[in-house]
Amino acid sequence: MNTIANIALRNLSRQKKRTILLGSAIAFGVMIVTLINGFAGAFSANVAENFSDLMAGHVFISGTEKGAKDKDVSVIRDDTALTAAVKASGAPVKYVTRRSAFSGTLIFEGKKIRTNVDGANLDEETFLRDRLLLKEGSWDAMEDRGALILSEKIARKLNADVGDTILVQMQTVTGQSNVGEFRLAGISFDAGIFGQMMSYANLSYVNELIGLAPDEYQTMGIMLDGLKRTESAAASIYAGLSGDVQLFERGVKDEKGAETPFQALMRQQSKETWDGVKYRLFTINEILSQIKQIVAALDTAAAIILVVLFIIIMVGISNTFSIVMFERIGEIGTMRALGVQRGGVRSMFLYEAVFLALGGAIAGIIVALVAMGIISLFDFGMENPAFIIMKNGHLSFYLPPLRAAGNVVVIALLTLVAVASPAGKAAKLTPAEALRTQK
Amino acid sequence: MKRIVTIAILAIAAASSAAFAQDVPKIIAELDRQSDFTGKDFAAVYTIVSQKPGEKDSVTQVRMFRRDDKEQFAMLVVLPEVNKGQGYLREDDNVWFYDPTSRKFSFSSIKENIQNSEAKNSDLTKKSILDDYDIIGTKDGAVGKIPVWVIDLKAKTKDVTYERIVLYVRKDRTMLLKQEDFSVSGRLMRTSLYPKYAEIEGRLMPSQMLIVDELNPGERSQLTMTEQSLAPLPDKVFTKAFLEQVNK
Repeated sequence: MNTIANIALRNLSRQKKRTILLGSAIAFGVMIVTLINGFAGAFSANVAENFSDLMAGHVFISGTEKGAKDKDVSVIRDDTALTAAVKASGAPVKYVTRRSAFSGTLIFEGKKIRTNVDGANLDEETFLRDRLLLKEGSWDAMEDRGALILSEKIARKLNADVGDTILVQMQTVTGQSNVGEFRLAGISFDAGIFGQMMSYANLSYVNELIGLAPDEYQTMGIMLDGLKRTESAAASIYAGLSGDVQLFERGVKDEKGAETPFQALMRQQSKETWDGVKYRLFTINEILSQIKQIVAALDTAAAIILVVLFIIIMVGISNTFSIVMFERIGEIGTMRALGVQRGGVRSMFLYEAVFLALGGAIAGIIVALVAMGIISLFDFGMENPAFIIMKNGHLSFYLPPLRAAGNVVVIALLTLVAVASPAGKAAKLTPAEALRTQK
Repeated sequence: MKRIVTIAILAIAAASSAAFAQDVPKIIAELDRQSDFTGKDFAAVYTIVSQKPGEKDSVTQVRMFRRDDKEQFAMLVVLPEVNKGQGYLREDDNVWFYDPTSRKFSFSSIKENIQNSEAKNSDLTKKSILDDYDIIGTKDGAVGKIPVWVIDLKAKTKDVTYERIVLYVRKDRTMLLKQEDFSVSGRLMRTSLYPKYAEIEGRLMPSQMLIVDELNPGERSQLTMTEQSLAPLPDKVFTKAFLEQVNK
């Protein structure tokens, strides 16, 4: 068997140009697919981490109270039990944030736009200053109680500059209409479609506008030291809270199965009734569960590209090996005459195909890894509209080893299929027939 | 003598003011009664012309069906053509919005604006001012040349849309001529004017309303009510199936 493998290797090295061309075709296909896989591998984690920064947490706890006529009022009035449970959980907590938010209409000189405004305690959330880069204005101006930071896109749509007074119209937590006045303290770099998630104001003023007391808030965000321990930390905190406070069940699924776990949790909230504040605990993964669908779509696209590229390459390999068989017909006759069996001839061609596939695939993966390394060196900056899919402003990649190995196996199998027919024809040749065939 | 006359005038003014203060709840109760069709079904067509600076006037027409006994309403959008078939349905405290394009219902609210106008769903339904508000002040005033009672009201609960409203009610006949709505922070948000009324079985219903957005200068909506009727309506009108059927 070793002899046949050695002959196959020698055959490949005899036709260097042809081998390099065929191997390059395979390597190119593998490189494209590996790049897509690598991008998809990091996409989910990058989006989740960036959303964690925007929302200031990996694990969240929000409170809901039943108001008049069974209407839900989003509020956390006393967080003693929550704070104790977070502490007791042993989760790797970097910091805890307390925020209130509303969706309202900003009005400035005849222009208006609907946006979300997050009320944050900026004395405690000092990290926000590092995370949110200002193009104009300054964070110091946020000491003004009615100060507001808007993304560039929103500020541009309103045609507002730093120092301008902007009216805001929203509803309180009980549904009453209210109007407030913000002073534009800063404009952050354009965040693309996420600009509407990046309007920040002081918690105390947001609370006043939505009808909460100064020491109340709506959502506690627990920022961990990374995304990896999100689910285990959430489970520990949830276990710690059980028995001490009223809690919504986690992991509920809608009977139709069409909803995300988070949507199902919200639906559960609207169906039930209770006294006092009931809490729901959720994670960034639940909020972004639809991101997994995007990753799945990217992986499916990569798989389709892999198949389409290799069908094209297979046709080329199959044709090339048919020519190779014809070129070596005398050689095959001599080998058969010297006692090499049909299986040996077939194996020789198949070994050549496998070596070609492995060589091309490994080269493709190496080139893709080098390309990933080079691309990830470019700093696109956190002010880039596509920052949400980046890691600290850099495009990042993660290639799951099993996926890379799977790609290599698929390519090897497809190449074997492509060569099977010429290999079979070569094996079927009788020594006499092969020796008398004129090239 | 002069002192006696002055005292007499002040006494009469104080007495009439006290009498008016006692009458205010009755005036508000009468305003509530005029908008209440309990025991009957009410239907009408409302045409809403909305003006916004820099935009062409938009015309929305809705056909409203009300059953105040059960606090139900169904509203069908007739115009503009692009939104034809959309509808709102109130069941208990829930308001559903139906979109014939997606054939789906989504949650809305009585406090939501009708289409892109300044009018809210609640503007076309039964009022319950006496239940929702406390009287915090009354005074004489005028709308144009018409003498009115100016009644200042503050919300009893935090569930009503506006924390404070001021009503301008005609003195010679209980008829609301103007209403000002204020935010929780005390800012005037919108002013509604009621220049024309129609009498329906002893109740005065505004047949024309002008709603002015005080936060967005130049934005206003004029509502005109026509084809009002108190004829009984089939029960199926107040169902989701009705909104779906009218689009088939």
